[in-house]
Amino acid sequence: MMKTKTWIAIIAVLFAVCAVMSVLIFTRKGHVAKVVLDGRVIRTIDLDAVTEEYSFEVRGEGTNVIRVRPGAICVSDADCPDRICVAHGWESSGGAPVVCAPNKLVITISDEDIDGVTF
Amino acid sequence: MSFSKHMRIIAAAAAGVLIMTGCGAKEHDAAFFAMDTYMQVKTYGNEDVSADIEELVRALEDDLSVTDEQSDVYRLDHEGEFGVSDDAYELIGTSLDISRRTDGALDMTVYPVLRAWGFTSSTGYRVPAEDEISSLMEYVDYRRVDISERTVRLPEGFMIDLGATAKGYTGDRICALLAQKDITSAMIDLGGNITALGTKPDGRPWKVAVRCPYEEGYICTLDICNMSVITSGGYERYFEDEDGNEYCHIIDPASGHPVRNGILSVTVAGENGTLCDGLSTAYYVMGAEKAVQKWREYKDHEMIIITDDNYMLVTPGLEDIITVTDDRYTLKVIDDED
Amino acid sequence: MAKRIARDGVLLALALILYAVEAQIPSPVPVPGVKLGISNIITLAAMFCIGPADALCILVCRIVMGQMFAGNAVSLIYAVSGGLLSYLVMYMLHKAVTHKQIWVCSVFSAAAHGVGQILSAAMVMKTTAVFIYIPFLVCSGIITGLFTGLCAGFVIARINNNIK
Repeated sequence: MMKTKTWIAIIAVLFAVCAVMSVLIFTRKGHVAKVVLDGRVIRTIDLDAVTEEYSFEVRGEGTNVIRVRPGAICVSDADCPDRICVAHGWESSGGAPVVCAPNKLVITISDEDIDGVTF
Repeated sequence: MSFSKHMRIIAAAAAGVLIMTGCGAKEHDAAFFAMDTYMQVKTYGNEDVSADIEELVRALEDDLSVTDEQSDVYRLDHEGEFGVSDDAYELIGTSLDISRRTDGALDMTVYPVLRAWGFTSSTGYRVPAEDEISSLMEYVDYRRVDISERTVRLPEGFMIDLGATAKGYTGDRICALLAQKDITSAMIDLGGNITALGTKPDGRPWKVAVRCPYEEGYICTLDICNMSVITSGGYERYFEDEDGNEYCHIIDPASGHPVRNGILSVTVAGENGTLCDGLSTAYYVMGAEKAVQKWREYKDHEMIIITDDNYMLVTPGLEDIITVTDDRYTLKVIDDED
Repeated sequence: MAKRIARDGVLLALALILYAVEAQIPSPVPVPGVKLGISNIITLAAMFCIGPADALCILVCRIVMGQMFAGNAVSLIYAVSGGLLSYLVMYMLHKAVTHKQIWVCSVFSAAAHGVGQILSAAMVMKTTAVFIYIPFLVCSGIITGLFTGLCAGFVIARINNNIK
């Protein structure tokens, strides 16, 4: 049997490593939101270019209402059981993707690797 | 997101470390306002040629501007005959070639009509009377531009504007300059007209997004190397009258009226930026059906046509490098033959 | 046998009550997969006081019935994969720790629960974007696992001699 102290050390190291990784991940920056439903990109929005607040609905396993405003995006309403996606609130920087696991919806924000935009 | 994408992120991170330690190519950024738009040229290499690029663009603007009283084009428009610079001469020649191959859908002489609609001045947009349009249409015909021995001659009342091809030409000229300087990797963004030189410094293709008409989203992305990608769309600049009719800034040289034919935007991709720029406007004017026929006839470029019934018509050459990022539009690959 | 069914049934009922109580507590952090997991106290107690087979039985029944009351087909997949991975880790560790170290077993199984959920979420949603949450779920699993593990430790100390 391992000593309790050894277990504490192992757990403390694991916690520290994961905590540092989380902080690094959650402080990433980006401005291009990608709405992915069931593995398919259904909308790509340059949040920096948004001028007016608007919302749209996506239907997959269930229904989510996605709201967009200058620089940020959120799920404003959903019919999923846990509503964690709605509780997530506005996401602007990109560290934490908005996830609605029951409805298979993920909204990621990153700088993508888009090098140029033609219009 | 795929596994390979993550491998690429790791590769990019490794490349980033290389750049930071000075082993890779340095990024130089030239950003300035010219030709009525924001331009940004990122080059990768040891030499910083940003100043040369800006100088080249300013020189071209001085030749090709239709509003600058010192420019070759302005003087040609007002004097009727002018011994223009090499750049203006070459661009007028190429533009006339594109006009011929598109049966006049691109026409540099449409400028007097464009002016009547108010798209060239700050005084404001207006809907001209039909009489006014039909009288101005007498001055619209690219076939009457006489070009020989370094001199361009216009009939009385004619005026030209190279706005539909100038930025594509500028992209080509910047590419030539960079080639001279042994720069093999650059992203040239001239206000939404993209020219990608080579690949990214890490060897991956450049990723260029196509803007959603009337929105801030991206409809698709293309992975390109050594290619210009240029888009024409009515949504860039338009106005509405009191009844809600929409008038876009692209005038059909056949009717003298803003184009309205079910196309939202046309993106043309190819090695020659001038051709891409001119064709994107010409195809926008022609409409989807004729544009597809013209493409079948030449096949020297690729294109994406976005229609108002939510289709993306794409040439087969783009099939492998396009990623649709908006599910409201259905991708349709254009058949090689009828 | 009848006694066994009755005893496991009571434990299952307890687990479901704890599950229902927890469902009423709003999650302090809106991250999918983060939860206190107090019904895991029952799984731990069953594992250490009765045996792995009964613990697995109670766990699977609790997950399926719990999801029938609040959840849908997709969230059932997440719950099952999280539950099974956490059970696996718990099973591997339950012989390696003393009765005073039950919280260690709980910490690792809670962390595994988060990882299992994310793995299945990535497969179901066909995106690796959710992997980003793994470190965070491991951290939160360590904290919640510590809490439920200590709770389970107290419970087991009291009932140990009376449950078999």
